Amino acid sequence: MHELSLALEVCRIAEEKAVPLPPSAVRSLGVEVGDDAGVEVDNFRFCLESLLSAPPFSGARLELLSRPGEDLRLTYLEVDDGRPEN
Amino acid sequence: MAVRRIEARERVMARNDEFAADVRGRLAAAGITAFNLVSSPGSGKTSLLERTLDALGEELEIAVVTGDVQTQNDADRLARRTSRLVQAVVTDGACHLDASQVSAALDAIDLERTRLFFVENVGNLVCPASWDLGEAAKIVVFSVTEGEDKPLKYPKMFRKASYAVLNKIDLLPHLDFDLDRAIASAREVNPSLRFFLTSARTGAGLDEWFDFLRQQVQAPART
Repeated sequence: MHELSLALEVCRIAEEKAVPLPPSAVRSLGVEVGDDAGVEVDNFRFCLESLLSAPPFSGARLELLSRPGEDLRLTYLEVDDGRPEN
Repeated sequence: MAVRRIEARERVMARNDEFAADVRGRLAAAGITAFNLVSSPGSGKTSLLERTLDALGEELEIAVVTGDVQTQNDADRLARRTSRLVQAVVTDGACHLDASQVSAALDAIDLERTRLFFVENVGNLVCPASWDLGEAAKIVVFSVTEGEDKPLKYPKMFRKASYAVLNKIDLLPHLDFDLDRAIASAREVNPSLRFFLTSARTGAGLDEWFDFLRQQVQAPART
């Protein structure tokens, strides 16, 4: 029922972690979903993918990782810092 | 293009839990006991609080925050039973209260004149289970007009609660509700759950509930 508000909070944390890069630099996100986190996974995926496909994001890929327990965590993000690779 | 990985490991509930810790700290500093009252809609949370305010509102210096998706009806009902502050939070669609809302509501409450604090959560047995509001304990209210297997259907809430109030027991003679089965269902998910059997309508069982609340509240440390 509250998956959208959780997805919004994931986006807020991702924006914070990406700094100094803008949210549009985020290429992918990994989110751990505990089986007792009170999250309906398909609904959560839909909400989060919808948010990630719209500004200020630019279509980041989402990886949901199922875990035992209650926690819902933003595990990692991959950002493109725009610099050419050496 | 250089894609680099940032390890975050950040709990999505972290911000809520910071607010909950803030609430818990403020309540502890003021010597206030706080309960988070949760149930499905219509179990009798507001009626139970009306009775509680009538009997103990002044004695235990009770303050209340109510959460509803729309309307301040519950807060208005409770405000008629006490001269003390009843604070309404309208969630405007959200299915639960979060700790930031409770923290903001505390700003309006005279903590020096409060010893017992109730949060009447949004009627919902699913979502409020996931949000710590800084309470000492969750108290789940359910009623004999609901199914005996409700604890099995909503195990997380019954597991998170420390106490259960089984309300509307005055209706038992008119129902097929199996009291033993209901209690067994609850104990199956949470063996340590303490039960109160009440009727907020007739007052049955409320004395035990009131005594429990008296025991939970700290003696006033005022000079």
